[in-house]
Amino acid sequence: MKIEKLMNEYDVIIIGGGATGAGTLRDCSLRGLKAALIERSDIATGATGRNHGLLHSGARYAVTDQESAQECISENQILRHIARHCVDQTDGFFISLPDDDLAFQNKFVESCLKAGIRADVLDPKEALSLEPSMNPSAIGAVRVPDGSIDPFRLTASNIQDAKAHGATVLTYHLVTELLHRQGVITGVRATDMRTGEQTELHAPIVVNACGIWGAHLAQMAGVKISMFPAKGALLIYGHRVNKIVLNRCRKPSDADILVPGDTICLIGTTSTKVPYDEIDNMYVLPEEVEILRKGAQELSPILEKTRILRCYAGVRPLVASDDDPSGRSVSRGIVLFDHEKRDGLKGFVTITGGKLMTYRLMAEKATDLVCEKLHVNKKCETAHIKLPGSREDKETTLKKLYSMPVSIQESMVYRHGDMAEKMSKNNTINNSLVCECEEVSYGEVSYAIDHMDVHNLIDLRRRTRVGMGTCQGEFCACRAIGILAKQKQICPTREKEELIAFLNERWKGVKPIAWGDSLRESQYASWVYESVCGLGDENKNKEQ
Amino acid sequence: MESINKSDNNFEQCLKCTICTVYCPVLAVNPQFPGPKHGGPDQERLRLKMPSFYEEANKYCMNCKRCEVACPSNVRIGDIIQKAKLKYSRHRPSVRDFFLSHTDLVGTLSSPFAPLVNKALGWNVTKQILDGVLKVDRHRTFPKYSHEKFATWMKKHADEQKQYPHQLCYFHGCYVNYNFPDLGKDLVRIMNAFDYGVELLEEEKCCGVALISNGFVGQARKQAETNLKSIRKAVSQEKPIILTSSTCAMTLRDEYPHVLNLDNKDVRDHIEIATRFIYRMIHETKAFDVSKLTFSNRPLKIAYHTPCHLEKLGWEYYSLELLRLIPNINLTVLKPNCCGIGGTYGFKKENYENAQKIGAPLFKEIEEGDFDFIVSDCETCKWQIEMSTSKKCIHPLSVFAQALDLA
Amino acid sequence: MACGIRLQEAGKKCVIISSGQSALHFSSGSFDLLNTLPDGTKVANPIEALKELKAQNPKHPYTKIGEEKFAHLAQEAQRLLSDAKIRMVGSYHANHYRLTPFAITKPTWLTMADYVYAEQPDTFAWKNISVVNFTAYLDFHPNFFADKFRRMGMSVRDIEIDLATIANNKNNLSEMRSTNIARLFENEKAFANFVDLLKSKIEKSDAVLLPACLGLEHTDIVETLSNILGVTVKLLPTFPPSVSGICAQHLLKQRFMNLGGTYMLGDTVNKVEFEDNRVTKIYTVNHNDIPLRGEQYVLCSGSFFSQGLLALPNDIIDPICGLDIDYISDRKQWFADNTFDKQNYGSFGIKTDEHFLAIKDQKTIDNLHVCGASLGGFNALKEGCGGGVSLLTALYAAEEILGNKK
Repeated sequence: MKIEKLMNEYDVIIIGGGATGAGTLRDCSLRGLKAALIERSDIATGATGRNHGLLHSGARYAVTDQESAQECISENQILRHIARHCVDQTDGFFISLPDDDLAFQNKFVESCLKAGIRADVLDPKEALSLEPSMNPSAIGAVRVPDGSIDPFRLTASNIQDAKAHGATVLTYHLVTELLHRQGVITGVRATDMRTGEQTELHAPIVVNACGIWGAHLAQMAGVKISMFPAKGALLIYGHRVNKIVLNRCRKPSDADILVPGDTICLIGTTSTKVPYDEIDNMYVLPEEVEILRKGAQELSPILEKTRILRCYAGVRPLVASDDDPSGRSVSRGIVLFDHEKRDGLKGFVTITGGKLMTYRLMAEKATDLVCEKLHVNKKCETAHIKLPGSREDKETTLKKLYSMPVSIQESMVYRHGDMAEKMSKNNTINNSLVCECEEVSYGEVSYAIDHMDVHNLIDLRRRTRVGMGTCQGEFCACRAIGILAKQKQICPTREKEELIAFLNERWKGVKPIAWGDSLRESQYASWVYESVCGLGDENKNKEQ
Repeated sequence: MESINKSDNNFEQCLKCTICTVYCPVLAVNPQFPGPKHGGPDQERLRLKMPSFYEEANKYCMNCKRCEVACPSNVRIGDIIQKAKLKYSRHRPSVRDFFLSHTDLVGTLSSPFAPLVNKALGWNVTKQILDGVLKVDRHRTFPKYSHEKFATWMKKHADEQKQYPHQLCYFHGCYVNYNFPDLGKDLVRIMNAFDYGVELLEEEKCCGVALISNGFVGQARKQAETNLKSIRKAVSQEKPIILTSSTCAMTLRDEYPHVLNLDNKDVRDHIEIATRFIYRMIHETKAFDVSKLTFSNRPLKIAYHTPCHLEKLGWEYYSLELLRLIPNINLTVLKPNCCGIGGTYGFKKENYENAQKIGAPLFKEIEEGDFDFIVSDCETCKWQIEMSTSKKCIHPLSVFAQALDLA
Repeated sequence: MACGIRLQEAGKKCVIISSGQSALHFSSGSFDLLNTLPDGTKVANPIEALKELKAQNPKHPYTKIGEEKFAHLAQEAQRLLSDAKIRMVGSYHANHYRLTPFAITKPTWLTMADYVYAEQPDTFAWKNISVVNFTAYLDFHPNFFADKFRRMGMSVRDIEIDLATIANNKNNLSEMRSTNIARLFENEKAFANFVDLLKSKIEKSDAVLLPACLGLEHTDIVETLSNILGVTVKLLPTFPPSVSGICAQHLLKQRFMNLGGTYMLGDTVNKVEFEDNRVTKIYTVNHNDIPLRGEQYVLCSGSFFSQGLLALPNDIIDPICGLDIDYISDRKQWFADNTFDKQNYGSFGIKTDEHFLAIKDQKTIDNLHVCGASLGGFNALKEGCGGGVSLLTALYAAEEILGNKK
């Protein structure tokens, strides 16, 4: 996207490329609005890309927050339908261990049923036979319709659909100013982070979908939203140990969800308040690693011997409820601020709070408000129109790819659903593998670079899983950067910089758990990239 | 109960260094094989995600274990692929696979008619039929069947063997039993010279390595359980269990627990190849006094070929040390190359050409070396070498026995 | 391997036990002696830099070896490699310069003779060259090299060769690694096709540069190619596995075994017995109850990658012999945030005395010598001395054992 000083009139500008922003962009576009999305980095880099990837059944909230629970189960059903290719229908167990109070289980089941969430009590032995990796000393188990969902592909799919309906997407653009005239927001000024060029976009409504950064954006607009960043850390294990989501059946606490996703499983999470000015710099601490390991091993003892791949931390966008700006009563539910009503500022709307699961509902509410303000009388259809990738069933798409090697077919269709057909020029070059750990082919990488707003290796990783396997980018980074450079005409100097950035991003997640095999892997990668290939010398040398 | 998602084959230790891929003999000649790293640790993660990720091309794995030997992370790559084949492959074993792997059955049927069977298997016409109907490659030569099974011979001599002051059990394996009892007889003579009487296990079945690789897991397990029962009995009577076949040894010790999930920890360390047993007796416990032996002093120029499975066990050292006891011997150790036969693998028409390509460097080294003959512990290596080169291939124990003039 | 060879040359009976194949498989094609001092100063002449190295890092293995012995051992190393028929260029007197797979210029001590190298950084006599790559071979970046050479004023022709046209095998591109390609070229017909194709494309080039995917068995293949084409042919390094490293490993092993050594591959030492501050015997996984006994023992089990050192969440140990380790106990200090900054864990290693004898429970073990990456006190990545430390300390151990105390 190369945009100079464009004076396009948009109907709505959405700031923030997480699930909420992407969902809102899609909803607006489907209702015929001319919409633009501006995101300072890549899509799904905020809380969207740093959560459990859990397709909640809502059971976790049933006991304390019936409204949230009902929202969850309803969205759960919808996402299984419209985003089938991003969802793994695993089901979930809530298990009670000997230390847990079995009476809680009764209350739990009752609350689930009340919220409309299926909750079947199972004999622990039966549960164990369905999920052998779970703790065999469990004294109770309840089965609920949990699942897992890939947030990157979900967001990307929403974006694809929005673009197909005329939307404009500007990633790597930082909003530096909210334009206004006479107390009305009229648009934004943004800087292209890669070139430094400035651009202005105008629209009657600007939607703040920045998650935790929303407070900062609101401040730019001159209104106050109190947000309380709560950091959560998670660990990723090397392979998919459990088939079914494992939860602890007790009051929500740290490290009590083990979610299987794609080739891995992960344990989460913790909750620590962090100062607002640190939200861009999240590191996982050793204490957090310990809490997570302990919790994981309680859910599934085999995790004691399972290799930990990496860890990461995200920040929850917790918003202070307006009646209590001190922040003691913080809302986890969906928060929609009509700043015209609340603060007398026309043209600005904030949609925040909520969770990944309810992104579509949040987008619906935001878009409803936007349409109301623009006097557009269109109903929301995002709940039944399938996202690109989910429009065709898996078998049909697989048949179209039958001549490709089996594992490549399965991989592409697993990740991209019916969109896999577009990536499948079946020849030897396109079938060669870029990432052997995650089975990502040249064809898939090539397509993603050209059609999915990929600007660097980290973007590529989000959409195709390159670098997310056990080697953490050791081999595939080298290959992927070659393809990226070729297709995007990147010069060798920048190619090396991208590679260094990618490898450092991987290291950030490995460092807190660098022992055993993970340290061996890192030492090997360092040896290859630094000693053999000479990367990193350039920080000191004056190389061309 | 076996866990659905727990992979107990330590694939997570794999660092993706790709060294195994360098040493895989199959990948060197057959690009359709995904390779040890990819078919093993890489795809195992994916198979745990969804079983449909299994590639049938993994059938080209010969289970030679060279990948495991080369791996600096001790990943049991061969086991991972074998287990995956058994668990996920939708391929049904054919009639040919049945006959190639049910060696007890075929051996028992052929033995009584050995002279006839041997003649027939030598005819071109038979080979053409086997090639066309069963897809057993017509170039293959078959080992000859013996009219008298080794087990039968042992029964006849059981009483005299009991006279010796010490006793041990000999797991003879199918080859010695049905095709080449002479090797077993050589072993008995050597052991007798060291004051050990040889007896058979109470009940011995084929070790099952061919059954496992051809997908007959149920049958393999049945036979394995019988073998383990007999072995346990022998161990309880404090009798060592020795073998002459390196592949049988590896199967009893490692394939049983790793692939068939049969626990043999209580007896594994009691199972070893005969040359290791002899080494221990000579060098460790000093029970055999080598100075008492007299050798024939005939000069020999020989070359030793390490069978893949023996290299995995790390025990070629013992066979070499045994050969080095023989005076006047010019011993070359051939380069570590697979002979290509891979057990029943090389008999199959679809694999024959690749099997020969895999073995080509070995055959070349043999022909260029001007040796009197080749020495190797594995019977299938022997067939392959004798079919593909101009040299005979003899078991180290037979070489030793001949040098001792024990004939 | 170097230690074993040196000892066998002197008539000692040696056995080498190796868990798997070695790190030579990922080699760059070069061995480094000393590239950078701990404070970052570049080194052009390793010998001359030793005094300064001693001042900056008295614990460095080179400091322990001492200036006098250093030159002698470096020369021995060069001789040993050459006797094993590994053809290399370079000398310990002055570093020359190699190109990495990313076309970055780095100083080094010895480089495989077939590889591109220069006496001074970035000075080559060529005016126009051809850089060759294979279609869909992603472990090599010809554009990095082409860019670099163009900036030096050379005219560069990019040649792409589709392997499918020279060999009938349809390659399985999921494992398109340098070694698979090298095997292709071992086939005479494929090689002949390759030569013909190259001839038609190189036109008038001063030099033809190929990715290092040749020479697995036929070590003179590059020379042959050069003679047929009538032009200089040189190799540019690729991403691992390293064909030349593998070849070097095989040559070293062959030399060792020709001298009478025993090599046990794929076995792991799992128990070491000590008595009166000496090692009496060792047990391995394969040999189980039959121990290996020797007068002297040399531990060269490498660093974390090779499992010579083991990192637990809060401790570093030697998993084989339980020797004392030189390390920082505060885990927070093991790593730097930027993966390309100096990582402290890279300097951890087994504690040894002045003569590289192992220390266990603070006592010196008289017959256990430690060498290579298992040693502490140096940072192979930052100082560029990995190859040198390996070879020199190995030969040091050999000479100690042989009683050469010059």
